Amino acid sequence: MFGSRTFIRATLAAGAVIAAGAAGAQDYSGKTLVVGTWGGDIERLLKEHAAKPLEEKTGAKVEFLLGGSGDRMSKLYAERQNPTMDVTFQNIYEAPQLLADGLVVPPDPDSQMYKDVWDGMNEGCYAMSLVGLGIAYSKELVSEPPEWADMWKPEYKGMIGMAPYPSSEGDGLLGVAARLEGTDEHDPDAAFAKVSELGAPALVYTSLDEVFALMEAGEVAMAPMISGYVLAGLKEFPGIGFSFPTDPGPVLIRDMVCQVAKSPNPELAEMFIEYALSPETQKAYAEEIYFGPTNSTVELSEAAAADTINSPEEVASLLQLDWPWLIEQRSDWTERWNKEILAQ
Amino acid sequence: MLAAKSARGLVAPAVILTAGVFLAPFLLLLAMSLWSQPPGSLMLDVTPTGENYRRITTDAYYMGGLARTIWLSLATTAICAVLSLPLAWWIVRRAGRFRGLILAVVLIPMVCGALLPTLGIVNLIGPLGVLNGTLKSLGLIERSWKLLGTQAGILIGLVHAFLPLMVLPLVASMDRLPRDAEGAAMSLGARRRAVWTRIILPLCAPGLLAGSALVFCATLTAFVTPLILGQGKIPTFATMAYQQASLVLDWPFASALAVVMLAILAAIGALGWAVRQALPGAAR
Repeated sequence: MFGSRTFIRATLAAGAVIAAGAAGAQDYSGKTLVVGTWGGDIERLLKEHAAKPLEEKTGAKVEFLLGGSGDRMSKLYAERQNPTMDVTFQNIYEAPQLLADGLVVPPDPDSQMYKDVWDGMNEGCYAMSLVGLGIAYSKELVSEPPEWADMWKPEYKGMIGMAPYPSSEGDGLLGVAARLEGTDEHDPDAAFAKVSELGAPALVYTSLDEVFALMEAGEVAMAPMISGYVLAGLKEFPGIGFSFPTDPGPVLIRDMVCQVAKSPNPELAEMFIEYALSPETQKAYAEEIYFGPTNSTVELSEAAAADTINSPEEVASLLQLDWPWLIEQRSDWTERWNKEILAQ
Repeated sequence: MLAAKSARGLVAPAVILTAGVFLAPFLLLLAMSLWSQPPGSLMLDVTPTGENYRRITTDAYYMGGLARTIWLSLATTAICAVLSLPLAWWIVRRAGRFRGLILAVVLIPMVCGALLPTLGIVNLIGPLGVLNGTLKSLGLIERSWKLLGTQAGILIGLVHAFLPLMVLPLVASMDRLPRDAEGAAMSLGARRRAVWTRIILPLCAPGLLAGSALVFCATLTAFVTPLILGQGKIPTFATMAYQQASLVLDWPFASALAVVMLAILAAIGALGWAVRQALPGAAR
């Protein structure tokens, strides 16, 4: 009895030493982890909260590849046999497709980082941040924070700004339009007919400044936009408001972080994702750029909590779309969007 | 023999480079236009199929896009020709010592890439641009005059971008005209109009033809200008191919769109060559 207890203790101690060695002391100097993400604030926050501690801990170097998520999708498919990226940040409308085509490592349900993320949010990849598709509006033209249905008022016909399609914003608008018609996104005829009633978009925006300038000038009344960036940008544009509608609620949109399949540095990639999903990084995302944390253990200041999606109730109040199904419609819907919405 | 061998050696780097960076990707483009994607996946199915071409030729949207692209190219070519003839004449006959400076100014849109001039035009004709701002402050209009997101806006950008391609060949051919041809014709009783239609234009036809072919082909494949000035609302073949390649990630379909565009370029090239052969003085 005594002997076996000693043995267990000794084994545990030895195990702990081995584990600590594996986690802490392994030297990755000379290795370079390549992370694909968006430039600007996101790059800055990831550099500060994920790349820097990872470099300090492992001796590896982290290199950022900046650009749009569509460029990264192209790169992943082109380099599918021999990828050069280790970690990539994608939109929710891209991540499940990457998993289905075997280009990313499926999230590990047994890992702590998986369990820390709100239930049901890891689709295809790990969920990195939560934002909502709401309505940015010109305070001069729209007196009250608008509901979705207000975009269809006759006085705003042809004065709605839209993002290029395909995009989360475009699919979100179609999902909302279908619900206003009493159905959902699985009924594309209803969705497209309803969106086309808005008239051709006043502007197909590619930057926030573009749409905000036109809103302040009274040329664009409203635009479905994603909360994070807009809320961060509103400080400079006093004439513009942002509304989280209630009927239906804002569309839940997620940025995802993915480990590339067959990547050159899988261990480093996993460690980077752990840092990205850590409460510190997620808190910085929320406090600085209003991207809601996916990590359920994060605690936010009151101000940040008010402007971000950060509780299970808030998540539940958001409109969730069937993204894996939407992705399959991409090609058909792009054609329909071109013909029925843009070519009016 | 030795000379032939060393000549081959000298062209080898260019041949290898062309084969590697142009011919091989071009063959891949041709092959990919016959591939497809399995339903629900973005991977490539390499079983040959004509489906992409069937989709282009049977869908009014794509044929409409093709017609619009060709129409924009024709209109740009015509406007460039009308603007360039007097400009080139003036440069050759009247600019004198400012000729170099004026040619440099004409060349600016060519050397600074498509993006900067196009963004400049956005600032001129956009809803909050110089033109609308002036008209609004003069009280002539209340809401902005829409030029961005229209064919007119795209035409302005395309003409601005490709005018040098018409001016330069015209200047080259007008330079070769004998200085006294104009005077000789007038001394024989030709009026100014007849001098232009019967002397200058026929003698400049090769330059006009070369300029037209250059402008037409450049416009047909122009991407940045229609994308930015069309605001995503005026699809041309190049912006459609971009949408399919970069946003939908349907590379086979994007390849088929590109192949159709290249086929039109080849046809225009052949037509230009045939017309050039038929022109007087072609044998020279």
